[in-house]
Amino acid sequence: MRILRRIGLMAIVGARHAVPPPILVLAAGVSASAAPPAPPGAPHASPLQLPYVYTKWRQFTTENGLPSDHVFAVKVNGNDVWVGTDDGLALIDKQQGKVAKVWKEKDGLPFRAVDGIDVDPNTGDVWIALFGGGLARLSGGRFDHWNQLNSGLVNDVVYGVAVQGDNVWAATTAGCSRLNFKTHQWTIFNEKNSPMEEIWNYAVTYSKQANKVFLAVWGSGILEYDLEKAARGEPAWNEYLDPDREMEIDLYRDDGINHVIDTGVTNVDGVMWTSSYFGGSRYDGRHWRGFSDIEGGMPSLFHNNVKGRSADEAWYCSDKGAGAIVNMEPETWVVYTREGNNGKAVVKQRTRPDAPTLDTIEVVETGINVPHSFIINADVDGNDVWLATAHGVGWGIGDGYYPRLKERAPLGAAPAQPAAATAR
Amino acid sequence: MKRHALIASALVVVAGLLFAADRKTQAPLKEWIAFDNPRLIELLKKINGVDAFTVPALEVRKDDNYAQTAEDLEPFGGVKPYQEFFLKQMEYTGPGRAEPEPEHVDTVKLGFIGPITSTVSAATGGKSHEEALGIPMMQGARLAIEEWNARGGYLKRKIPFEMVTKNDNGLWGASGNEIIRMAYDDKVWGILGTIDGANSHIAIRVALKAEVVMVNSGDTDPTFIETNIPWVVRVIGDDRQQAYILADYLYRTLKYERIGLIRASNRYGRFGIRKVVDTSRRLQKPVPIEMAYKVGQGDFSLELTRLKKTNPQAVVHWGDAVEGAQILNQMRKMGMTMPYYACDRCVSDEFVKITGPNAEGVVCAFPWDPERRDAKLDKFRKAYRERFGAEAETYAAHAYDGMNMLIWAVQVAGLNRAKIRDVLAYLPEPWPGVTGDIPLSACLDDVGDVYLAKREKSAWHYYSRADLGIPKGYIPPVDRLSRAGNQTAQK
Repeated sequence: MRILRRIGLMAIVGARHAVPPPILVLAAGVSASAAPPAPPGAPHASPLQLPYVYTKWRQFTTENGLPSDHVFAVKVNGNDVWVGTDDGLALIDKQQGKVAKVWKEKDGLPFRAVDGIDVDPNTGDVWIALFGGGLARLSGGRFDHWNQLNSGLVNDVVYGVAVQGDNVWAATTAGCSRLNFKTHQWTIFNEKNSPMEEIWNYAVTYSKQANKVFLAVWGSGILEYDLEKAARGEPAWNEYLDPDREMEIDLYRDDGINHVIDTGVTNVDGVMWTSSYFGGSRYDGRHWRGFSDIEGGMPSLFHNNVKGRSADEAWYCSDKGAGAIVNMEPETWVVYTREGNNGKAVVKQRTRPDAPTLDTIEVVETGINVPHSFIINADVDGNDVWLATAHGVGWGIGDGYYPRLKERAPLGAAPAQPAAATAR
Repeated sequence: MKRHALIASALVVVAGLLFAADRKTQAPLKEWIAFDNPRLIELLKKINGVDAFTVPALEVRKDDNYAQTAEDLEPFGGVKPYQEFFLKQMEYTGPGRAEPEPEHVDTVKLGFIGPITSTVSAATGGKSHEEALGIPMMQGARLAIEEWNARGGYLKRKIPFEMVTKNDNGLWGASGNEIIRMAYDDKVWGILGTIDGANSHIAIRVALKAEVVMVNSGDTDPTFIETNIPWVVRVIGDDRQQAYILADYLYRTLKYERIGLIRASNRYGRFGIRKVVDTSRRLQKPVPIEMAYKVGQGDFSLELTRLKKTNPQAVVHWGDAVEGAQILNQMRKMGMTMPYYACDRCVSDEFVKITGPNAEGVVCAFPWDPERRDAKLDKFRKAYRERFGAEAETYAAHAYDGMNMLIWAVQVAGLNRAKIRDVLAYLPEPWPGVTGDIPLSACLDDVGDVYLAKREKSAWHYYSRADLGIPKGYIPPVDRLSRAGNQTAQK
């Protein structure tokens, strides 16, 4: 059946584009220049306006050195790729392409489960969110450890960490703590001094461009802390809540964040991307755009996190694959999934501006891409992407990467069926 | 619309007569779902046959309507929302089913977390106040474990179950730490527990990340289950269901136009009363006043004076028994003679002890019917009395059901957390609990019947919708997204 479908699809692609039946080729072999952005009101791109598809992947699991396959966090800093698992911390040497070092509790790691990682760009110190063990810093081969009994850390269940200048922010299950590691002063943010209706912080990120810190809070939406305003002594918090205020519905797609149970937030090029267990949202400072699985682009409602690459591209870490939205107009997604001992990338696009759902316009058999389709965390590394999954780390090698869309030959098959028939 | 409502009301009355007759008949003893249930066998075939990279093709639950919400109580009911949640069951798509069973284990550990140790209350700064609920809950869970151990423990290996017990009313979100210890250090196979809404939310976030199923038997916060995570099951009717029956009784049966609200200024009070507020507004009877009080404040004269000024026809309280009782007494002292309604926590000996004769006529929402004639309920009560020297109350009974369900899932699935979750998430039929049948919704919430408890002649008596002829608004049979005819809210 699968073979028949493939043959059928190939024939359709061949007829439509007058090219030989598609074969799997590496994206690096494609040569064309990136297309300029479509002017407002212009018709949608032709089917040949296609996004970059990662076809070259490597995987890291316990078989090649990770301390555990259940990976919670990945953070790239130059040649170093830091990996947090439910049973230890690992360092991948990117140049050598192998796990260079592993730390478990017996090696001094203060707690086994590493939930979040950030690297101080000035010192190279690694800050580690410990899932039940507090906050740690790996500096000069030594671990320093802060917990709720020996410091101003408000709770030991730390979901995320972000370095901002001389401060490190820790998103905990009972509020957010900030440590100034020059002055050793702690500040706690919770319902008493910030607009946290609930204090269950899930993620924290810092955007140097925006000079803001962002929190994703389970039950309290997205909170933004404006560092410039704070420095001037002005009220610094801004909150983004679901305007309909209801748990069981999203009334309008584009009216704000789609739910108050938020799991991730990232801000890049002036655009905020958010994730939740109910879809995701994009905010450019003026307009909101909501994303859901019902339109066929986003692979699932359930997202563990999101990593923005630009104003046009963000990687959603879903339970049904890595969903990369790579272009806003026309809305275009590439979804990477592992299927048994194979993997595929499915390109979906809104082929008409008024189309209610996205169409599948290309299916690329990539071999194993992400080591598992349950994606937990992501980081962008130049042209490459790194994905933490429930069964290892995936490294998408972006040879020849280009942003948004451009004309290129198809890498795979273009199914005849619209997305509505193939969407979950 | 009116015709729908009339038909629905008529059906409720007819069903009530049938049900009333049925309540007089002793239900046969059925303590769990048969291990050889064909749908269970089919489920096991599917979940046992997959590797780490394959998601079994399980038939996910799809509900036509979220939480049996009547059409006139739906939020933004006049329009079709862009998306409705909780109508389709969330799948677990991770690799956990491929985890092999451990070769050597001495006991099968199951976690219990609840408010069992006295500590400082985050709400009042004084003594904590939920141990009165948590200790019976722990005892109910313990009894279930002891009974299964008497039957041979974990039957596949003939080893006992062991309850790992943790306290959850510590400060600064300590419940999260405790769940992590249970998941990683104690290596429990599933967890039962939590009452407080805040601690419960903290606990389930951890359970989701650590991938261990959490069965909740004591937190009635509606938002607890509205988180879209596939590792949580609740076996008690929530405050949404309880608010629906109470509001239907107040507005559709008694025809009140104006009720006043008073509630605890904590998560339980805030979220419990919310559905009463929403329901009142949606039925065009907006509440004139909602007063919040600090737990432990003792003197409610300020709140009651303001409440009295609005001249409510009835007062509804949402909070703990002690405050509920003090408020009632002070109301009566102030000459406020209007009927008093409350949440399930006020159906307690403590409430009756403090209120004395004032308790007469009080009506509370309640998640089950303790007067039901059921052989297994009688058996449970007898066993509980013999083991702990006390009468089993609601928290004990629900914990007993929850722990029995969890143990049964372990017996069926084996020592694999993801498969234990699967067995609970895809129950082939409602769980036959001592608190009544427990049917799970698509978001794994108990959507079984809830009741009203009336204090009559110095005793609590329990009434179903059918018993009291309480009508319900028309419940649309399909989800709003698929329903034709509505204006769409989609931009």
